[in-house]
Amino acid sequence: MVREKETTLYLGPQHPGITGNMMVKLKVQGDTVVSASTHVGYLHRAFEKLIERRNWIQAFTLLCRFCVPEPDPMELTYARAVEDLDNREVPERAKYIRVIVMELARMQSFMLWYAGQAGSAGLYMIPQWSVGDRNYILDLFEDLTGGRIYHMYIWPGGVRRDIPEGWADKTLRTMDYIEKRLDEYNKVLFDNTIFQKRAQGVGIVPKDKAIEWGVVGPVLRGTGIKSDVRIDEPYEVYDKIDFDIPTQEGGDIWARALVRKEEIRQSIRIIRQAITHMPGGAYYNKVSNPMKWTVPAGQAWARTESVRGEIGFHVTSDGGNKPYRVHVKGAAYTHGVTVLEKILPGQNIADVSFILNSLGVCPPEIER
Amino acid sequence: MTDLVKENKLLDAVSQAFKIKGKVIRNRRVEVYADKNMVSSILLFAKKQLGYIHMAHMTCVDWIDQGEFELVYTIYSPIEKITLFVKTRIDRENPEMENIDSIWDQANTYEREMREMFGIEFPGLVGEHDFILEDWDQIPPMRKEFDTHKYSAETFFSRPGREDAKEVRDELSKRSGTIVPDFAKKYSRE
Amino acid sequence: MENDKNSQKIVDYIQNFSRKHSLFVLAYGTGCGAIEIPATMTSRYDAERFGIRGAATPRQADVLLITGYLSTKTLKRVIRVYEQMQEPKYVIGFGSCTINGGMYYDSYNTINGLDQYLPVDVYINGCMPRPESVISGFVKLQELIQDGKANNGEKYRENLEHYRTNQKKIIKNWKMPDYNW
Repeated sequence: MVREKETTLYLGPQHPGITGNMMVKLKVQGDTVVSASTHVGYLHRAFEKLIERRNWIQAFTLLCRFCVPEPDPMELTYARAVEDLDNREVPERAKYIRVIVMELARMQSFMLWYAGQAGSAGLYMIPQWSVGDRNYILDLFEDLTGGRIYHMYIWPGGVRRDIPEGWADKTLRTMDYIEKRLDEYNKVLFDNTIFQKRAQGVGIVPKDKAIEWGVVGPVLRGTGIKSDVRIDEPYEVYDKIDFDIPTQEGGDIWARALVRKEEIRQSIRIIRQAITHMPGGAYYNKVSNPMKWTVPAGQAWARTESVRGEIGFHVTSDGGNKPYRVHVKGAAYTHGVTVLEKILPGQNIADVSFILNSLGVCPPEIER
Repeated sequence: MTDLVKENKLLDAVSQAFKIKGKVIRNRRVEVYADKNMVSSILLFAKKQLGYIHMAHMTCVDWIDQGEFELVYTIYSPIEKITLFVKTRIDRENPEMENIDSIWDQANTYEREMREMFGIEFPGLVGEHDFILEDWDQIPPMRKEFDTHKYSAETFFSRPGREDAKEVRDELSKRSGTIVPDFAKKYSRE
Repeated sequence: MENDKNSQKIVDYIQNFSRKHSLFVLAYGTGCGAIEIPATMTSRYDAERFGIRGAATPRQADVLLITGYLSTKTLKRVIRVYEQMQEPKYVIGFGSCTINGGMYYDSYNTINGLDQYLPVDVYINGCMPRPESVISGFVKLQELIQDGKANNGEKYRENLEHYRTNQKKIIKNWKMPDYNW
C-alpha cells in the first residue's frame, strides 16, 4: 500500500496558467489539493501614496493603471466620487458617452476572459479568434481617445472631447459584426463536450454563504442571486435604458460562463439604445483652472459595476488641491484571497488554473 | 430634496439603540459616529437585525494634525439599498482596534493590510505578517510622515536628468529663445 | 560577401541566421505591459511569422521580456529566472518604466532603471507600446544578433561582481544559489 504524503507546490509567479503575477501556495496529496494560500505583492506600486502627491487632475494618469484588463471603470468611479464632493453636474450628452465607453470596455474585457478560460482548458483556437476580434473594439477606442489600452478620457464634469464624425456609425457596424461572431463562439466553446464536462460541478460557490464571503459580480449571479450595481443604485443613464440581468443556478464554473455569455448580448443592446437616444449639447462642465482646483472637505463613496464585479472608491478631501486619501476596492480583493482559499480544498491540481480564470482574479486590484 | 424616509428610519434605529450621533448625508448614504469599543456591537446589530449583510469596505485615514487614525467601516443592505458608514477614531501613537473577522471572514484581509501599512494592532488576528511588502525595515509606509520620494531617490539608481522636475514649457522657451504667451501662463502650477 | 570569407565566417553567419529566426519568449508577465503580448501573438499582428513563440520554462527560453515596472519582490525572482536560462540569452526592456522609472519614479517599491541589475539588449519605449512597436523591437534584436553584437550573457558572467553589488543593495534577504557556470 502506498502512503501518500503531503507535498508543497508553488503555482508561482512564473507560470503559463495564472492570470497575472501572483503566487498560490498549494499543499497537495497525490492529485488533490488539501489547502491553499495566496501570496500577492509582486505588483505593488504604492498607488495610494503616490496619489497623495499629485493634484486632483494629475491623479488620472495613475488611476487607469490600477486594473490592467479594464481601466475605464476606475476613471468613472473616481470622477463620480469627486463630483459628489464638489456638487458638480454632468451634462446629458456626457452621461450617454460615458455609458457607451463603459459597455465597450466590458466587451473587450469579456473577450480577454474568454481567451483565458478556454486557454486554461487546452482549447487554443479560441484565444486566436477572440483576441483578434478584440482588436476591432480597441480600434474604436483609438479613434475616440487616442490610446488602445489606457484612455484617461472620463474627467470629473464630463468627458475630455466629443465623439468624432462617423464614430457612431462605425460602432454600430462593429456591433453587428460581433453579434454574428458570438454565435460562432457558442459553437466552439459552449457546445463543446470537453468544456462542458470540465466545467460542470467544479469550483462551486455555495449560495447561502456567497454574500458573507464578499462575492460580487457574475460569480454572485451564477449562484442565483440577482444583484447588479446598475439596477441597485443606477448611475449615469442606466435607469432610462432597457436591459436584463441574467442569473443562473448552480454556482459552478458552467453557470458563471453562461451568465457572462448572456451579459455581452445585453451590452450590445445597451450600446445600440444609447447611440440612438443620445442628445446634443455640451460634453464637459468646465473646471476653470484644473491645476489649481480645490474640492470641499468631506468623504465620498462611489461604486460601479465592472466586468468582474463591484468597484468602490473611498475619497477623502481636506479642502486642498490634492486628494488627502483615496482607497480603492476591486472585486478581486475578496475573490482572490478569501474565496479562493475556501473553495480550492478538494479540487484537482489541473483545475486550479481553470478556477482562477473563472473567478476573475486580477492581481493588480488586490495589491494596487 | 426627495423624502429620505428609509434613511431617517435607519438613523433612528441605530442611534437610539446605542445612544450615538449620526447624519443622513444624502440619498442612500447614512453615517454614524461611534466609540471604538462599540463598533463590533453596532456591526453585529446591523448585520443580524437590520439586514446589512454585505461588508463593502474598511478603510483608514491618517489625520496627522489631530494625532488620530479614523477607521471607516462601510456596509450595505441589498434589500434597502442603503450604504451605512460606521466611523471611529483611535490614537495614533499606540493604535489598537478590535478584530472583527468573526463577523465577516473577508475582514481578515483588510486588517492584515492595515497592520502592515499603518501599524495598527488587531489582537487575535491570524495571518502571515508579510502580505504585500517583503523584508520591509522602515516605518509603516502609508503613514503621513514617510517620505516616499526621498526613499526612492536614495535607494534606487536613477538616470541623470530626472532629479529636478523642471517646468517643461519654460525650459524649452529658454533654450529656443521664444516667449511663453499669456494664455498659456494661465495653466501653471504656481 | 563571396570574395573574402574563411570557414569561420560562414559558420558564424549560419549560426546567427538560425538563432535570429527562432526566438522563444518566456511566458512571464511581470507588469502592465503583459496585456499587449496576447495581441502581438495572435491573428492581426502575428509575431509567429518572425519565428517568435512562447516557452513555458526558463530552461527552454531565449528571450526574457520584462514588460513594465519591476517591484523589488519580483526583481529577486527575475534574477533567479535569468540565471536559469542558458546562453545565448537576451533581455528586452519593454515600456518606459524600464528606462527611467516612468510614472512611478517616486514609489518606494519600484526600481528606477533596469540597466543596473541586468544587462539589456533593446529598449522599447511607450506606455503602452503598440504591437507594431514590439515587433520593431524584435526586428532590431534580430539585426544585433546577425551582426554578432548581442552577447550579454557573457557580459553578465564576466561582470558578475558589479551586478551583484547593485542587486544586493536592493534585495536585503539574499538567499539565492551561486552563479558559477
